[in-house]
Amino acid sequence: MDRVDDALIKVSSVSKVFRAGTDLVPAIDDLSVDVRRGEFVTMVGPSGCGKTTLMMIIGGLIDPDHGNVAIHGETVRGPFTNLGIVFQNPELLDWRTSLSNIMLQIEIRNLSQRDYTPVALDLLARVGLEDFVDKYPHELSGGMKQRVALCRALVHDPEILLLDEPFGALDALTRDQMNYDLQHIWLEKRKTAILVTHSIDEAVWLSDRVLVMTPRPARIAEDISIDLPRPRSLEMKNSAEFNTYTGRVRALFKDLGVFHDSQ
Amino acid sequence: MTANNGLPEEMKPDTLPLVDQQSPSTKPGSNWRTAWIVPTVTVILCLAAWEAAVHLFEVRVYLLPPPSTIAVVMFVEFDLFMSEAVSTVISITTGFLLAVVFGVPVATCMVYWSLFRRAIQAILVTAQVLPKVALAPLFIVWFGFGMLPKVLITFLICFFPIVIDTVIGLNSVRPENLMLIRSMGGNRWQSFWKIRLPSALPSMFGGLKVAVTFAVVGTLVAEFVGSDTGLGYVLMLARGNLESPTVFACIMWLVIIGFVSYYSVELTERVVLRNRGAQRIHQLGAGL
Repeated sequence: MDRVDDALIKVSSVSKVFRAGTDLVPAIDDLSVDVRRGEFVTMVGPSGCGKTTLMMIIGGLIDPDHGNVAIHGETVRGPFTNLGIVFQNPELLDWRTSLSNIMLQIEIRNLSQRDYTPVALDLLARVGLEDFVDKYPHELSGGMKQRVALCRALVHDPEILLLDEPFGALDALTRDQMNYDLQHIWLEKRKTAILVTHSIDEAVWLSDRVLVMTPRPARIAEDISIDLPRPRSLEMKNSAEFNTYTGRVRALFKDLGVFHDSQ
Repeated sequence: MTANNGLPEEMKPDTLPLVDQQSPSTKPGSNWRTAWIVPTVTVILCLAAWEAAVHLFEVRVYLLPPPSTIAVVMFVEFDLFMSEAVSTVISITTGFLLAVVFGVPVATCMVYWSLFRRAIQAILVTAQVLPKVALAPLFIVWFGFGMLPKVLITFLICFFPIVIDTVIGLNSVRPENLMLIRSMGGNRWQSFWKIRLPSALPSMFGGLKVAVTFAVVGTLVAEFVGSDTGLGYVLMLARGNLESPTVFACIMWLVIIGFVSYYSVELTERVVLRNRGAQRIHQLGAGL
Protein backbone atom coordinates (compact mmCIF):
# COMPACT_ATOMS: atom_id res chain seq x y z
CA MET A 1 0.00 0.00 0.00
CA ASP A 2 1.54 3.30 -0.93
CA ARG A 3 1.40 5.93 1.80
CA VAL A 4 0.04 9.28 0.72
CA ASP A 5 1.01 12.47 2.44
CA ASP A 6 -2.33 14.22 2.14
CA ALA A 7 -4.18 11.35 3.80
CA LEU A 8 -7.11 12.36 6.03
CA ILE A 9 -7.32 8.94 7.65
CA LYS A 10 -4.18 6.88 8.24
CA VAL A 11 -4.68 3.34 9.48
CA SER A 12 -1.30 1.97 10.59
CA SER A 13 -0.63 -1.74 11.32
CA VAL A 14 -3.95 -2.28 13.06
CA SER A 15 -4.60 -5.71 14.59
CA LYS A 16 -7.60 -6.90 16.57
CA VAL A 17 -8.31 -10.25 18.21
CA PHE A 18 -11.70 -11.17 19.66
CA ARG A 19 -12.29 -13.68 22.39
CA ALA A 20 -15.08 -16.19 21.72
CA GLY A 21 -15.33 -18.31 24.85
CA THR A 22 -11.86 -19.80 25.18
CA ASP A 23 -10.98 -19.29 21.52
CA LEU A 24 -9.12 -16.31 20.19
CA VAL A 25 -10.47 -15.14 16.85
CA PRO A 26 -8.19 -12.78 14.96
CA ALA A 27 -10.42 -10.24 13.21
CA ILE A 28 -7.83 -7.91 11.68
CA ASP A 29 -4.17 -8.63 11.07
CA ASP A 30 -1.61 -5.88 10.62
CA LEU A 31 -3.73 -3.76 8.30
CA SER A 32 -2.62 -0.38 6.96
CA VAL A 33 -4.47 1.92 4.62
CA ASP A 34 -4.73 5.62 3.87
CA VAL A 35 -7.85 7.48 2.83
CA ARG A 36 -7.61 10.89 1.20
CA ARG A 37 -9.93 13.75 1.94
CA GLY A 38 -13.09 13.55 -0.16
CA GLU A 39 -12.42 10.03 -1.30
CA PHE A 40 -15.11 7.32 -1.51
CA VAL A 41 -13.49 4.07 -0.38
CA THR A 42 -15.29 0.75 -0.17
CA MET A 43 -14.24 -2.37 1.68
CA VAL A 44 -15.65 -5.46 0.05
CA GLY A 45 -15.11 -8.90 1.46
CA PRO A 46 -16.67 -12.07 2.73
CA SER A 47 -19.08 -12.07 5.63
CA GLY A 48 -17.51 -11.90 9.08
CA CYS A 49 -14.08 -10.89 7.81
CA GLY A 50 -13.61 -7.94 10.16
CA LYS A 51 -14.68 -5.09 7.88
CA THR A 52 -17.17 -3.74 10.38
CA THR A 53 -14.58 -4.03 13.17
CA LEU A 54 -12.12 -1.99 11.10
CA MET A 55 -14.78 0.63 10.49
CA MET A 56 -15.57 0.87 14.21
CA ILE A 57 -11.83 1.17 14.95
CA ILE A 58 -11.59 4.03 12.48
CA GLY A 59 -14.52 5.73 14.25
CA GLY A 60 -12.82 5.22 17.61
CA LEU A 61 -15.71 3.08 18.87
CA ILE A 62 -13.52 -0.03 19.29
CA ASP A 63 -9.86 0.08 20.37
CA PRO A 64 -7.33 -1.84 18.27
CA ASP A 65 -4.99 -4.31 20.05
CA HIS A 66 -2.02 -3.06 18.04
CA GLY A 67 -1.42 -0.19 15.69
CA ASN A 68 -3.40 3.00 15.50
CA VAL A 69 -5.65 5.20 13.43
CA ALA A 70 -4.82 8.85 12.89
CA ILE A 71 -7.22 11.41 11.49
CA HIS A 72 -5.72 14.79 10.54
CA GLY A 73 -2.46 13.39 11.89
CA GLU A 74 -3.92 12.95 15.39
CA THR A 75 -4.21 9.48 16.88
CA VAL A 76 -7.82 8.51 17.51
CA ARG A 77 -8.46 7.79 21.19
CA GLY A 78 -12.11 7.31 22.06
CA PRO A 79 -14.96 8.12 19.70
CA PHE A 80 -14.11 10.42 16.81
CA THR A 81 -17.15 12.66 16.63
CA ASN A 82 -16.75 14.59 13.39
CA LEU A 83 -18.47 11.78 11.51
CA GLY A 84 -21.81 10.28 10.64
CA ILE A 85 -22.57 6.55 10.79
CA VAL A 86 -25.19 4.46 9.02
CA PHE A 87 -25.57 0.90 10.30
CA GLN A 88 -27.04 -2.12 8.53
CA ASN A 89 -30.26 -1.66 10.49
CA PRO A 90 -31.65 1.86 10.46
CA GLU A 91 -31.41 2.10 14.29
CA LEU A 92 -34.16 4.70 14.40
CA LEU A 93 -35.83 5.36 17.74
CA ASP A 94 -39.44 4.09 17.72
CA TRP A 95 -40.74 7.00 19.75
CA ARG A 96 -39.40 9.72 17.46
CA THR A 97 -40.66 10.94 14.09
CA SER A 98 -38.39 11.00 11.03
CA LEU A 99 -37.47 14.62 11.68
CA SER A 100 -36.98 14.09 15.39
CA ASN A 101 -34.77 11.04 14.76
CA ILE A 102 -32.54 13.18 12.56
CA MET A 103 -32.51 15.97 15.13
CA LEU A 104 -31.19 13.55 17.79
CA GLN A 105 -27.78 14.21 16.20
CA ILE A 106 -28.25 17.94 16.86
CA GLU A 107 -29.62 17.50 20.40
CA ILE A 108 -26.77 15.28 21.56
CA ARG A 109 -24.22 17.71 20.12
CA ASN A 110 -25.99 20.67 21.74
CA LEU A 111 -26.28 22.47 18.41
CA SER A 112 -29.04 24.93 17.62
CA GLN A 113 -32.39 23.29 16.81
CA ARG A 114 -33.44 26.39 14.92
CA ASP A 115 -30.39 26.39 12.64
CA TYR A 116 -30.48 22.70 11.83
CA THR A 117 -34.21 21.97 11.43
CA PRO A 118 -34.20 23.48 7.90
CA VAL A 119 -31.10 21.39 7.09
CA ALA A 120 -32.86 18.22 8.23
CA LEU A 121 -36.01 19.08 6.26
CA ASP A 122 -33.92 19.79 3.18
CA LEU A 123 -32.15 16.42 3.48
CA LEU A 124 -35.48 14.62 3.90
CA ALA A 125 -36.81 16.32 0.79
CA ARG A 126 -33.71 15.37 -1.12
CA VAL A 127 -34.27 11.68 -0.46
CA GLY A 128 -37.96 12.00 -1.35
CA LEU A 129 -39.39 11.88 2.17
CA GLU A 130 -40.90 15.38 2.36
CA ASP A 131 -44.32 13.83 3.06
CA PHE A 132 -42.98 11.59 5.83
CA VAL A 133 -41.41 14.19 8.10
CA ASP A 134 -43.84 13.57 10.97
CA LYS A 135 -44.21 9.81 10.52
CA TYR A 136 -42.96 7.34 13.09
CA PRO A 137 -40.59 4.50 12.07
CA HIS A 138 -43.37 1.89 12.17
CA GLU A 139 -45.14 3.88 9.47
CA LEU A 140 -42.14 3.73 7.11
CA SER A 141 -40.83 1.00 4.82
CA GLY A 142 -37.32 -0.43 5.24
CA GLY A 143 -35.88 1.75 2.47
CA MET A 144 -37.48 4.88 3.92
CA LYS A 145 -36.07 4.15 7.37
CA GLN A 146 -32.59 3.73 5.93
CA ARG A 147 -32.97 7.08 4.14
CA VAL A 148 -33.85 8.74 7.43
CA ALA A 149 -30.75 7.10 8.95
CA LEU A 150 -28.65 8.52 6.08
CA CYS A 151 -30.08 11.99 6.72
CA ARG A 152 -29.25 11.63 10.42
CA ALA A 153 -25.65 10.81 9.49
CA LEU A 154 -25.40 13.92 7.33
CA VAL A 155 -27.38 16.63 9.14
CA HIS A 156 -24.44 17.97 11.17
CA ASP A 157 -22.26 18.17 8.06
CA PRO A 158 -19.57 15.76 9.30
CA GLU A 159 -16.18 15.39 7.68
CA ILE A 160 -16.35 11.59 7.46
CA LEU A 161 -19.20 9.24 6.59
CA LEU A 162 -19.04 5.61 7.77
CA LEU A 163 -21.50 3.32 6.00
CA ASP A 164 -21.66 -0.18 7.42
CA GLU A 165 -23.58 -2.30 4.89
CA PRO A 166 -26.32 0.34 4.89
CA PHE A 167 -28.28 -1.22 2.03
CA GLY A 168 -27.69 -4.89 2.85
CA ALA A 169 -31.23 -5.51 4.08
CA LEU A 170 -32.96 -3.80 1.15
CA ASP A 171 -34.38 -5.37 -1.99
CA ALA A 172 -32.51 -4.92 -5.27
CA LEU A 173 -34.70 -2.14 -6.68
CA THR A 174 -34.58 -0.02 -3.53
CA ARG A 175 -30.87 -0.67 -3.31
CA ASP A 176 -30.22 0.75 -6.79
CA GLN A 177 -32.28 3.81 -5.91
CA MET A 178 -30.37 4.26 -2.64
CA ASN A 179 -27.08 4.03 -4.56
CA TYR A 180 -28.27 6.80 -6.83
CA ASP A 181 -29.33 8.95 -3.88
CA LEU A 182 -26.04 8.34 -2.10
CA GLN A 183 -23.97 9.21 -5.18
CA HIS A 184 -26.02 12.36 -5.65
CA ILE A 185 -25.49 13.53 -2.09
CA TRP A 186 -21.83 12.54 -2.11
CA LEU A 187 -21.11 14.41 -5.36
CA GLU A 188 -22.66 17.50 -3.82
CA LYS A 189 -20.97 17.36 -0.41
CA ARG A 190 -17.79 15.42 -1.21
CA LYS A 191 -17.55 13.82 2.22
CA THR A 192 -14.79 11.35 2.86
CA ALA A 193 -16.80 8.14 2.82
CA ILE A 194 -15.96 4.60 3.87
CA LEU A 195 -18.46 1.95 2.85
CA VAL A 196 -18.60 -1.70 3.85
CA THR A 197 -20.54 -3.95 1.50
CA HIS A 198 -20.91 -7.50 0.24
CA SER A 199 -22.02 -6.36 -3.17
CA ILE A 200 -19.21 -6.17 -5.73
CA ASP A 201 -21.41 -4.16 -8.13
CA GLU A 202 -22.29 -1.64 -5.45
CA ALA A 203 -18.64 -1.33 -4.40
CA VAL A 204 -17.36 -0.63 -7.92
CA TRP A 205 -20.27 1.62 -8.90
CA LEU A 206 -20.00 3.94 -5.88
CA SER A 207 -16.26 4.08 -5.19
CA ASP A 208 -13.08 5.84 -6.07
CA ARG A 209 -11.19 2.92 -4.54
CA VAL A 210 -12.23 -0.61 -3.72
CA LEU A 211 -10.32 -2.45 -1.00
CA VAL A 212 -10.68 -6.18 -1.55
CA MET A 213 -10.46 -7.87 1.85
CA THR A 214 -9.23 -11.37 2.63
CA PRO A 215 -11.29 -13.82 4.72
CA ARG A 216 -10.69 -13.46 8.46
CA PRO A 217 -8.33 -12.14 9.71
CA ALA A 218 -8.91 -9.10 7.49
CA ARG A 219 -6.08 -7.88 5.36
CA ILE A 220 -6.19 -5.91 2.15
CA ALA A 221 -5.72 -8.29 -0.78
CA GLU A 222 -5.80 -5.52 -3.32
CA ASP A 223 -6.44 -1.81 -3.52
CA ILE A 224 -8.19 -1.09 -6.83
CA SER A 225 -8.67 2.46 -8.10
CA ILE A 226 -11.94 2.80 -10.01
CA ASP A 227 -11.40 5.13 -12.89
CA LEU A 228 -14.93 5.63 -14.17
CA PRO A 229 -16.42 9.07 -14.91
CA ARG A 230 -18.97 10.62 -12.55
CA PRO A 231 -21.87 10.97 -12.22
CA ARG A 232 -22.26 7.27 -12.89
CA SER A 233 -25.44 5.81 -14.34
CA LEU A 234 -26.96 2.39 -13.80
CA GLU A 235 -26.43 1.67 -17.52
CA MET A 236 -22.73 1.86 -16.81
CA LYS A 237 -23.04 -1.49 -15.08
CA ASN A 238 -23.33 -3.05 -18.53
CA SER A 239 -20.17 -1.41 -19.84
CA ALA A 240 -16.95 -3.30 -20.55
CA GLU A 241 -14.89 -1.11 -18.18
CA PHE A 242 -17.30 -1.68 -15.30
CA ASN A 243 -17.25 -5.41 -15.86
CA THR A 244 -13.46 -5.44 -16.03
CA TYR A 245 -13.43 -4.07 -12.47
CA THR A 246 -16.09 -6.40 -11.09
CA GLY A 247 -14.42 -9.32 -12.88
CA ARG A 248 -11.12 -8.39 -11.27
CA VAL A 249 -12.70 -8.41 -7.79
CA ARG A 250 -14.44 -11.75 -8.44
CA ALA A 251 -11.17 -13.28 -9.70
CA LEU A 252 -9.45 -12.10 -6.52
CA PHE A 253 -12.14 -13.65 -4.35
CA LYS A 254 -11.74 -16.90 -6.24
CA ASP A 255 -7.98 -16.82 -5.67
CA LEU A 256 -8.59 -16.12 -1.97
CA GLY A 257 -10.87 -19.12 -1.70
CA VAL A 258 -14.00 -17.04 -1.03
CA PHE A 259 -15.64 -18.60 -4.09
CA HIS A 260 -14.94 -22.21 -4.91
CA ASP A 261 -16.24 -24.64 -7.45
CA SER A 262 -17.85 -27.65 -5.79
CA GLN A 263 -16.84 -29.93 -8.70
CA MET B 1 -35.29 -7.50 8.40
CA THR B 2 -37.25 -6.53 5.33
CA ALA B 3 -39.96 -8.82 4.08
CA ASN B 4 -39.10 -9.37 0.47
CA ASN B 5 -42.20 -10.62 -1.22
CA GLY B 6 -41.39 -9.42 -4.69
CA LEU B 7 -42.82 -5.95 -4.24
CA PRO B 8 -40.44 -3.05 -4.52
CA GLU B 9 -39.88 -1.63 -1.04
CA GLU B 10 -41.33 1.73 -1.94
CA MET B 11 -44.72 0.29 -2.82
CA LYS B 12 -45.31 -1.11 0.62
CA PRO B 13 -46.14 1.88 2.83
CA ASP B 14 -49.62 2.06 1.34
CA THR B 15 -50.33 -1.59 1.88
CA LEU B 16 -48.35 -2.82 4.84
CA PRO B 17 -47.12 -0.55 7.61
CA LEU B 18 -49.95 1.96 7.82
CA VAL B 19 -52.71 0.94 10.17
CA ASP B 20 -55.93 0.11 8.41
CA GLN B 21 -58.72 2.22 9.83
CA GLN B 22 -61.33 1.36 7.24
CA SER B 23 -62.70 -1.92 8.52
CA PRO B 24 -62.42 -2.18 12.30
CA SER B 25 -65.09 -4.88 12.48
CA THR B 26 -62.75 -7.42 10.88
CA LYS B 27 -60.12 -6.93 13.61
CA PRO B 28 -60.77 -8.86 16.81
CA GLY B 29 -61.21 -6.60 19.81
CA SER B 30 -61.04 -3.31 17.98
CA ASN B 31 -64.81 -3.09 17.70
CA TRP B 32 -66.31 -1.11 20.58
CA ARG B 33 -69.38 -3.34 20.68
CA THR B 34 -67.38 -6.51 21.27
CA ALA B 35 -65.03 -4.56 23.55
CA TRP B 36 -67.81 -3.37 25.91
CA ILE B 37 -70.97 -5.40 25.39
CA VAL B 38 -69.43 -8.87 25.58
CA PRO B 39 -67.77 -8.48 29.01
CA THR B 40 -70.80 -6.59 30.40
CA VAL B 41 -73.21 -9.29 29.28
CA THR B 42 -70.93 -12.01 30.68
CA VAL B 43 -70.79 -10.34 34.10
CA ILE B 44 -74.58 -9.77 34.15
CA LEU B 45 -75.25 -13.41 33.25
CA CYS B 46 -72.94 -14.65 36.03
CA LEU B 47 -74.62 -12.37 38.58
CA ALA B 48 -78.08 -13.53 37.44
CA ALA B 49 -77.07 -17.19 37.79
CA TRP B 50 -75.72 -16.47 41.28
CA GLU B 51 -78.93 -14.64 42.29
CA ALA B 52 -81.09 -17.45 40.89
CA ALA B 53 -79.04 -20.20 42.56
CA VAL B 54 -79.20 -18.52 45.99
CA HIS B 55 -83.01 -18.21 45.80
CA LEU B 56 -83.54 -21.60 44.19
CA PHE B 57 -81.51 -23.56 46.76
CA GLU B 58 -82.50 -21.27 49.66
CA VAL B 59 -78.87 -20.63 50.67
CA ARG B 60 -78.67 -18.82 54.04
CA VAL B 61 -77.54 -15.21 53.71
CA TYR B 62 -74.50 -15.62 56.07
CA LEU B 63 -73.19 -18.41 53.82
CA LEU B 64 -73.64 -16.68 50.48
CA PRO B 65 -75.67 -13.50 50.13
CA PRO B 66 -77.29 -12.86 46.72
CA PRO B 67 -75.80 -10.06 44.57
CA SER B 68 -78.92 -7.91 45.10
CA THR B 69 -78.39 -7.89 48.89
CA ILE B 70 -74.68 -7.10 48.43
CA ALA B 71 -75.53 -4.22 46.10
CA VAL B 72 -78.04 -2.84 48.61
CA VAL B 73 -75.42 -2.94 51.41
CA MET B 74 -72.79 -1.38 49.12
CA PHE B 75 -74.98 1.66 48.50
CA VAL B 76 -77.02 1.93 51.72
CA GLU B 77 -73.81 2.18 53.73
CA PHE B 78 -72.08 4.13 50.98
CA ASP B 79 -70.79 6.84 53.35
CA LEU B 80 -69.21 4.32 55.73
CA PHE B 81 -67.47 2.48 52.89
CA MET B 82 -66.22 5.68 51.31
CA SER B 83 -64.78 7.09 54.53
CA GLU B 84 -62.95 3.79 55.14
CA ALA B 85 -61.91 3.48 51.47
CA VAL B 86 -60.07 6.81 51.72
CA SER B 87 -57.47 5.28 54.04
CA THR B 88 -57.16 2.16 51.83
CA VAL B 89 -56.76 4.17 48.63
CA ILE B 90 -54.19 6.51 50.21
CA SER B 91 -52.15 3.50 51.34
CA ILE B 92 -52.33 1.80 47.90
CA THR B 93 -51.41 4.98 46.02
CA THR B 94 -48.65 6.12 48.38
CA GLY B 95 -47.06 2.66 48.63
CA PHE B 96 -47.16 2.20 44.86
CA LEU B 97 -45.79 5.66 44.06
CA LEU B 98 -43.01 5.31 46.65
CA ALA B 99 -42.05 1.99 45.03
CA VAL B 100 -41.80 3.78 41.65
CA VAL B 101 -39.84 6.70 43.11
CA PHE B 102 -37.31 4.39 44.81
CA GLY B 103 -37.50 1.40 42.43
CA VAL B 104 -36.54 3.17 39.21
CA PRO B 105 -33.35 4.80 40.62
CA VAL B 106 -32.36 1.51 42.32
CA ALA B 107 -32.83 -0.34 39.00
CA THR B 108 -30.80 2.36 37.23
CA CYS B 109 -27.94 1.99 39.71
CA MET B 110 -28.10 -1.80 39.27
CA VAL B 111 -27.69 -1.40 35.51
CA TYR B 112 -24.82 1.08 35.61
CA TRP B 113 -22.98 -0.15 38.70
CA SER B 114 -22.29 -3.89 38.87
CA LEU B 115 -20.90 -3.75 42.42
CA PHE B 116 -24.20 -2.27 43.62
CA ARG B 117 -26.13 -4.91 41.65
CA ARG B 118 -24.21 -7.75 43.31
CA ALA B 119 -24.64 -6.15 46.71
CA ILE B 120 -28.36 -5.60 46.47
CA GLN B 121 -29.57 -8.60 44.44
CA ALA B 122 -29.71 -11.02 47.41
CA ILE B 123 -31.44 -8.47 49.64
CA LEU B 124 -33.97 -7.73 46.92
CA VAL B 125 -34.88 -11.38 46.41
CA THR B 126 -35.02 -12.00 50.17
CA ALA B 127 -37.37 -9.06 50.60
CA GLN B 128 -39.60 -10.49 47.91
CA VAL B 129 -39.74 -14.18 48.92
CA LEU B 130 -40.25 -13.19 52.55
CA PRO B 131 -44.00 -13.55 53.20
CA LYS B 132 -45.46 -10.11 53.79
CA VAL B 133 -48.19 -11.59 56.00
CA ALA B 134 -45.49 -12.73 58.40
CA LEU B 135 -43.81 -9.36 58.27
CA ALA B 136 -46.95 -7.30 58.84
CA PRO B 137 -47.32 -8.03 62.62
CA LEU B 138 -43.70 -6.91 63.16
CA PHE B 139 -44.39 -3.68 61.31
CA ILE B 140 -47.38 -3.08 63.60
CA VAL B 141 -45.12 -3.58 66.62
CA TRP B 142 -42.51 -1.19 65.20
CA PHE B 143 -44.68 1.48 63.62
CA GLY B 144 -48.06 1.27 65.39
CA PHE B 145 -51.56 0.97 63.96
CA GLY B 146 -51.53 4.01 61.68
CA MET B 147 -50.89 4.58 58.01
CA LEU B 148 -47.12 3.92 58.11
CA PRO B 149 -47.08 0.09 58.34
CA LYS B 150 -49.72 -0.18 55.59
CA VAL B 151 -47.75 2.05 53.24
CA LEU B 152 -44.53 0.18 54.02
CA ILE B 153 -46.03 -3.26 53.31
CA THR B 154 -47.54 -1.95 50.07
CA PHE B 155 -44.22 -0.35 49.13
CA LEU B 156 -42.34 -3.60 49.79
CA ILE B 157 -44.69 -5.74 47.72
CA CYS B 158 -44.61 -3.31 44.75
CA PHE B 159 -40.86 -2.70 44.81
CA PHE B 160 -39.67 -6.00 43.35
CA PRO B 161 -41.62 -6.17 40.06
CA ILE B 162 -40.84 -2.52 39.38
CA VAL B 163 -37.09 -2.97 39.92
CA ILE B 164 -36.87 -6.22 37.97
CA ASP B 165 -38.79 -4.98 34.94
CA THR B 166 -36.97 -1.65 34.91
CA VAL B 167 -33.60 -3.47 34.90
CA ILE B 168 -34.78 -5.68 32.02
CA GLY B 169 -36.03 -2.60 30.18
CA LEU B 170 -32.84 -0.58 30.66
CA ASN B 171 -30.78 -3.54 29.42
CA SER B 172 -32.97 -4.06 26.36
CA VAL B 173 -31.38 -1.06 24.63
CA ARG B 174 -29.79 -1.81 21.26
CA PRO B 175 -25.98 -1.56 21.48
CA GLU B 176 -25.92 0.12 18.06
CA ASN B 177 -28.04 2.92 19.52
CA LEU B 178 -25.43 3.47 22.23
CA MET B 179 -22.62 3.40 19.64
CA LEU B 180 -24.53 6.04 17.73
CA ILE B 181 -24.69 8.25 20.82
CA ARG B 182 -20.95 7.74 21.39
CA SER B 183 -20.20 8.76 17.81
CA MET B 184 -22.20 11.93 18.48
CA GLY B 185 -20.00 12.66 21.49
CA GLY B 186 -22.90 12.01 23.86
CA ASN B 187 -22.39 11.32 27.55
CA ARG B 188 -23.94 8.87 29.98
CA TRP B 189 -26.62 11.32 31.07
CA GLN B 190 -27.76 11.90 27.48
CA SER B 191 -27.72 8.21 26.60
CA PHE B 192 -29.86 7.51 29.68
CA TRP B 193 -32.52 10.15 29.01
CA LYS B 194 -32.62 9.91 25.23
CA ILE B 195 -32.08 6.18 24.65
CA ARG B 196 -32.10 3.91 27.68
CA LEU B 197 -35.10 5.22 29.57
CA PRO B 198 -37.43 5.52 26.54
CA SER B 199 -36.33 2.02 25.42
CA ALA B 200 -37.12 0.72 28.91
CA LEU B 201 -40.66 2.15 29.11
CA PRO B 202 -42.59 -0.79 27.59
CA SER B 203 -41.18 -3.31 30.06
CA MET B 204 -41.35 -0.76 32.92
CA PHE B 205 -45.08 -0.51 32.33
CA GLY B 206 -45.27 -4.31 32.51
CA GLY B 207 -43.76 -4.09 36.00
CA LEU B 208 -46.02 -1.19 37.01
CA LYS B 209 -49.15 -3.11 36.01
CA VAL B 210 -48.13 -6.15 38.06
CA ALA B 211 -47.12 -3.90 40.97
CA VAL B 212 -50.39 -1.97 41.08
CA THR B 213 -52.42 -5.16 41.50
CA PHE B 214 -49.99 -6.27 44.24
CA ALA B 215 -50.50 -2.89 45.93
CA VAL B 216 -54.14 -3.71 46.66
CA VAL B 217 -53.12 -7.06 48.19
CA GLY B 218 -50.35 -5.42 50.24
CA THR B 219 -52.62 -2.81 51.77
CA LEU B 220 -55.31 -5.40 52.53
CA VAL B 221 -52.83 -7.71 54.25
CA ALA B 222 -51.68 -4.84 56.47
CA GLU B 223 -55.25 -3.88 57.30
CA PHE B 224 -56.10 -7.48 58.18
CA VAL B 225 -53.19 -7.85 60.56
CA GLY B 226 -53.52 -4.63 62.45
CA SER B 227 -55.30 -1.45 61.60
CA ASP B 228 -58.17 0.62 62.86
CA THR B 229 -59.22 2.05 59.51
CA GLY B 230 -59.68 0.90 55.92
CA LEU B 231 -61.85 -1.53 54.00
CA GLY B 232 -59.71 -4.44 55.22
CA TYR B 233 -60.48 -3.44 58.83
CA VAL B 234 -64.25 -3.23 58.08
CA LEU B 235 -64.02 -6.62 56.36
CA MET B 236 -62.38 -8.21 59.43
CA LEU B 237 -65.00 -6.73 61.80
CA ALA B 238 -67.90 -7.87 59.60
CA ARG B 239 -66.44 -11.35 59.27
CA GLY B 240 -66.21 -11.61 63.07
CA ASN B 241 -69.92 -10.76 63.30
CA LEU B 242 -70.88 -13.13 60.45
CA GLU B 243 -72.20 -10.12 58.49
CA SER B 244 -71.55 -11.76 55.14
CA PRO B 245 -73.28 -9.11 52.98
CA THR B 246 -70.90 -6.49 54.45
CA VAL B 247 -67.92 -8.79 53.83
CA PHE B 248 -68.97 -9.17 50.20
CA ALA B 249 -69.68 -5.45 49.88
CA CYS B 250 -66.11 -4.74 51.10
CA ILE B 251 -64.73 -7.24 48.58
CA MET B 252 -66.70 -5.59 45.78
CA TRP B 253 -65.40 -2.13 46.70
CA LEU B 254 -61.85 -3.53 46.76
CA VAL B 255 -62.40 -5.05 43.31
CA ILE B 256 -63.56 -1.66 42.05
CA ILE B 257 -60.51 0.06 43.58
CA GLY B 258 -58.25 -2.58 41.98
CA PHE B 259 -59.87 -2.11 38.58
CA VAL B 260 -59.56 1.67 38.70
CA SER B 261 -55.88 1.51 39.80
CA TYR B 262 -54.98 -1.03 37.11
CA TYR B 263 -56.70 0.85 34.32
CA SER B 264 -55.17 4.16 35.44
CA VAL B 265 -51.75 2.62 34.87
CA GLU B 266 -52.82 1.07 31.58
CA LEU B 267 -54.28 4.36 30.37
CA THR B 268 -51.03 6.13 31.27
CA GLU B 269 -49.17 3.45 29.33
CA ARG B 270 -51.35 3.95 26.25
CA VAL B 271 -50.78 7.68 26.34
CA VAL B 272 -47.02 7.42 26.90
CA LEU B 273 -46.42 4.67 24.32
CA ARG B 274 -49.04 5.83 21.80
CA ASN B 275 -46.68 6.28 18.85
CA ARG B 276 -44.77 3.03 19.00
CA GLY B 277 -46.89 1.07 16.57
CA ALA B 278 -48.00 -1.58 19.07
CA GLN B 279 -51.33 -1.92 17.29
CA ARG B 280 -49.49 -3.24 14.24
CA ILE B 281 -48.77 -6.52 15.99
CA HIS B 282 -52.47 -6.99 16.45
CA GLN B 283 -53.46 -5.95 12.96
CA LEU B 284 -50.72 -7.55 10.88
CA GLY B 285 -50.55 -10.64 13.08
CA ALA B 286 -54.26 -11.19 12.42
CA GLY B 287 -54.77 -12.94 15.72
CA LEU B 288 -51.71 -15.24 15.61
